[in-house]
Amino acid sequence: MTELVSIPGHWDFDYTYFAGEAASRFFAELRNTRVMGATCPDCRRVLVPARSFCDACFQRTTDWVEVGPEGTLETFTIITAAFPGLPEPPIVMAYVTLDGADTALVNLVLGLDLSDIGAAAAGLQRQPRVRVQYGPEPQGRITDFAFVLA
Amino acid sequence: MSEPVAVLGVGQTTYKRRHPESSAADLIWAAAEEALADAGLGIDAVDVIIAGVAPDALAGENCVEKTAIFGTGKPFLRVNTGGVTGSSTAFAGASYVASGRARAALVVSLERMGQASTSQRVFNTIFDPVYEKDFPLTTITMAALRASMLMRVYGYSERDWAEIAARNYRHALRNPLAHLHLEVTPEDVLDSPLLAWPIHRLEACPMSEGACALVLGGRDLAAGRNAAWIQGMASTSDSYAMGDRIRRPEGSLVDLLSLQRSAVRAYADAGVSDPRKEFGVVELYSPFSSAEAMTYPALGFCAPLDGPRFIQEQQEDPSLPVFNPSGGPQAANPVSATAMVRIAECALQVRGLAGDRQVADVRRAVATGQGGATQFSTVCVLGTQTP
Repeated sequence: MTELVSIPGHWDFDYTYFAGEAASRFFAELRNTRVMGATCPDCRRVLVPARSFCDACFQRTTDWVEVGPEGTLETFTIITAAFPGLPEPPIVMAYVTLDGADTALVNLVLGLDLSDIGAAAAGLQRQPRVRVQYGPEPQGRITDFAFVLA
Repeated sequence: MSEPVAVLGVGQTTYKRRHPESSAADLIWAAAEEALADAGLGIDAVDVIIAGVAPDALAGENCVEKTAIFGTGKPFLRVNTGGVTGSSTAFAGASYVASGRARAALVVSLERMGQASTSQRVFNTIFDPVYEKDFPLTTITMAALRASMLMRVYGYSERDWAEIAARNYRHALRNPLAHLHLEVTPEDVLDSPLLAWPIHRLEACPMSEGACALVLGGRDLAAGRNAAWIQGMASTSDSYAMGDRIRRPEGSLVDLLSLQRSAVRAYADAGVSDPRKEFGVVELYSPFSSAEAMTYPALGFCAPLDGPRFIQEQQEDPSLPVFNPSGGPQAANPVSATAMVRIAECALQVRGLAGDRQVADVRRAVATGQGGATQFSTVCVLGTQTP
């Protein structure tokens, strides 16, 4: 019987992701503690986070509007298991539709009592109102803010 | 379609966490060799070869299919549409046959994720680097975000997720190709560790690897062979952004609009009007119970609010089709191949070659696929009758 050979491997590449003009403007506004949406001239949806075109209508977005800072939690998960390369649990991640927006955006929800996961989940299933809370030093990244209960 | 297309041969390796005994090329070879033998055809009869592999990073090698380019001198394509890679690959091959550009197509999909030690980290890279990658979005948390929404909107419970998972594991006990052979009750599922509420360990698919191949041919090659005819096939895209679909009036994130639209088109081509009565077997791309539940209304089996009751109906009404006789992706999820495995299983069931898991008298079966953040869906109807 031949001894089977396995060869170790490792991928370790660095990248730079180019966000484009629309997201760059969105991030610049975040530094001013404003969450912005871009409007589709056809369907009139305010798309948040802002982007350069509406994929449903194949149209360039036009008017930019500020949304939030409060909104409604739409759906969530409470991450309870640790995975390599991901932050330590428990973590609450949710989609929130900010007031004035037609689409939801994903971010973390901070400041919840997670001592009883079932009870915390039941509370979040009631779709609480939340608001945007900025960190101390905005970097112009999507991680500049998180959601907290309003 | 112009020329009708049939599945003439099926080849599969087993699906398991790792195949340390085989190189990637060996796995592709094994599936292709078996599919050609099943069809009774040699490699020279094949006019096009199409390979399906999803993220290269799962294998840790770019274009992992390159070392298995055999039968040279023909067109060769590689397909990657995430979770629907397998069915996209099959549809691409079927299109060559339907258009008359190939008498026979060999399609093969490979999942080599057994070479990866941190798959959820790789899966984080399938999300948008600008607005999403900084969050712990993975295949598991993406499913959990939908499962909690399904519970709120359509009244599913954690118990429902456990019932679906237990049935899939039970079916897999009769499938020697399946990765997991577990005797698991719904209670066992609920007692397994919570990964991301509401998803428990035994409700999530395993990481599996293996290869699946099909030989597709037209009417002339099907003559005298045991053929499963593709009576309808449709592939539909949707907006990528999950947040855009949450309040969408024509179909929310958990309404699986892309699958619904694929079903309408494939059923129309196949002449299916009552899916509850006209299918013997349903093979679903459902790596999580919640992913399975989302398909029921999209495929026309029940109204959205009747989904939880439909789980019970499946156990009580023998006139309904058998769901996931293979055990489905909860018992084996070789991601790149999974959507082709659904078609392979339907073809085996229609041809009466499904062994211990054979469902009696399957005249028609339906296979689904879901890819990415469900921005891609496929439906494939197979049957004994030439379309």
